Amino acid sequence: MILKVLVFALPLALLLGCSHAPANRSSDLLITGAKPDHLFVISAGTRTVRSDFHIPDANDSVGAIVPSPDGKIAYVLVNRMESIAGVDLASGKEVFRADLSSPGERVKCMFAFDITPDGRELIVYELPTKLGLDEYLVEEPRFAVFSTAAGLEAQPLRQFPAPRRVHLLLAKKDGTSFYAFGFELFEYAVADGRLIAQRGIRSWERPGHSIPDLLAIWPVTEPTGVFASPIYSTVNAPGAPPEEVPTTSLMTLDLKNGRLDYRDFEPTAALIFSTVMSPARAEAFGVYAQLTKIDTAHGSLAKRVNLDHTFYAVNISSDGQEVYLGGAMCDVAFYDAATLNKKANLRLPGCPDQVLASLRVIHR
Amino acid sequence: MSTLKPVNEKARLLLEAAESGHVAEVTAMESVAGCATTFDPGWEVDPFGGVASLCQPMEADLYGCSDPCWWPAQVPDTLNTYPAWDANKPSAQNDWRELDAVFPEK
Repeated sequence: MILKVLVFALPLALLLGCSHAPANRSSDLLITGAKPDHLFVISAGTRTVRSDFHIPDANDSVGAIVPSPDGKIAYVLVNRMESIAGVDLASGKEVFRADLSSPGERVKCMFAFDITPDGRELIVYELPTKLGLDEYLVEEPRFAVFSTAAGLEAQPLRQFPAPRRVHLLLAKKDGTSFYAFGFELFEYAVADGRLIAQRGIRSWERPGHSIPDLLAIWPVTEPTGVFASPIYSTVNAPGAPPEEVPTTSLMTLDLKNGRLDYRDFEPTAALIFSTVMSPARAEAFGVYAQLTKIDTAHGSLAKRVNLDHTFYAVNISSDGQEVYLGGAMCDVAFYDAATLNKKANLRLPGCPDQVLASLRVIHR
Repeated sequence: MSTLKPVNEKARLLLEAAESGHVAEVTAMESVAGCATTFDPGWEVDPFGGVASLCQPMEADLYGCSDPCWWPAQVPDTLNTYPAWDANKPSAQNDWRELDAVFPEK
């Protein structure tokens, strides 16, 4: 008897960017920051604060957070956007520090920095100003690359020119380039800062659409590797809303292949500050004073619920079943991704405001 | 001919630049990105002319506006000029009574 072995290709669910079984969200850890110097590590499974670390010399300012690819270190923009601190998420110890300013030169990083996929380098957008005796001298912005192994007095390995008005940097997954969101979407080589490509945000050339308005300062790309942001414009086309009613679109940038998409999904009925893509379904979630679920397959609003208060930041569990809200005030909320029902709310100890701190998810 | 005469070096340089047709490039001060000398109400009216799309409550947005010197916000700029304005007041909803007005240094 011949034993016939039939091998079936396991049909993967129609998941965005998913090439493996959905992770168990009980192993998810949420990372958020709060005034004056807090870095919180929160267990998603138990909805409790696992660690409350204090970042040295944060100067009442905890902003963008970028976890290392192995989830062991969180790099945090602190000190009124003039320093980046790397905090070990097991011990709370500061293991990296880059102070961008120097005597006579004030350097701000307006939310824009990222880590290379191999975890070895930080790419930082720098806005320098020379502080003269009786005047400010605006200098040319630049990208600065730091080694993450540089310790507590990190100096840049290399620097190269940058365009103005960049507020977000995202490293491409292959490690060769990074994207800078400014007036346009720029792509630069990590090695030498060479401009590889420039694509439209301001010059997006979408028929009938005005120049868009984009606020993108929350660098969430997990778990799908796709960055998403709401973007607003007015549309002059048959069937479009009246001119005084803008249209909300979802901008997505796939960091694996560089694909950039824009898709309208509603006449603007509610503001959305930040969005995240689901790993489980063709959906995205956005937050501000409401929690919005967007059907990305059809480009439509799926569901919207009012929130207890405004949140700035949104993220999603590794399995796509729960949505996490943070930023602004002093609580982190947990919502069911399917029903948008609130499941839990965690008030941070001491109720310090998260403000513009990112809400990141790492999976151990 | 203008009757104004420069009385210091800077004024003389300005006059020279204007007369020679050479004007230095005006560059936005990106290091204070977000700051602008504008007096938009900011919190009274949302983009739709109502109030439903304002941050709820207003305290949710207070430090989110002062920290990056957000352009329409009528709060001190803690990014550069008044970094200690919210010192020891980490919770806007609880600490707002402690926040004070700021005044130019004498």
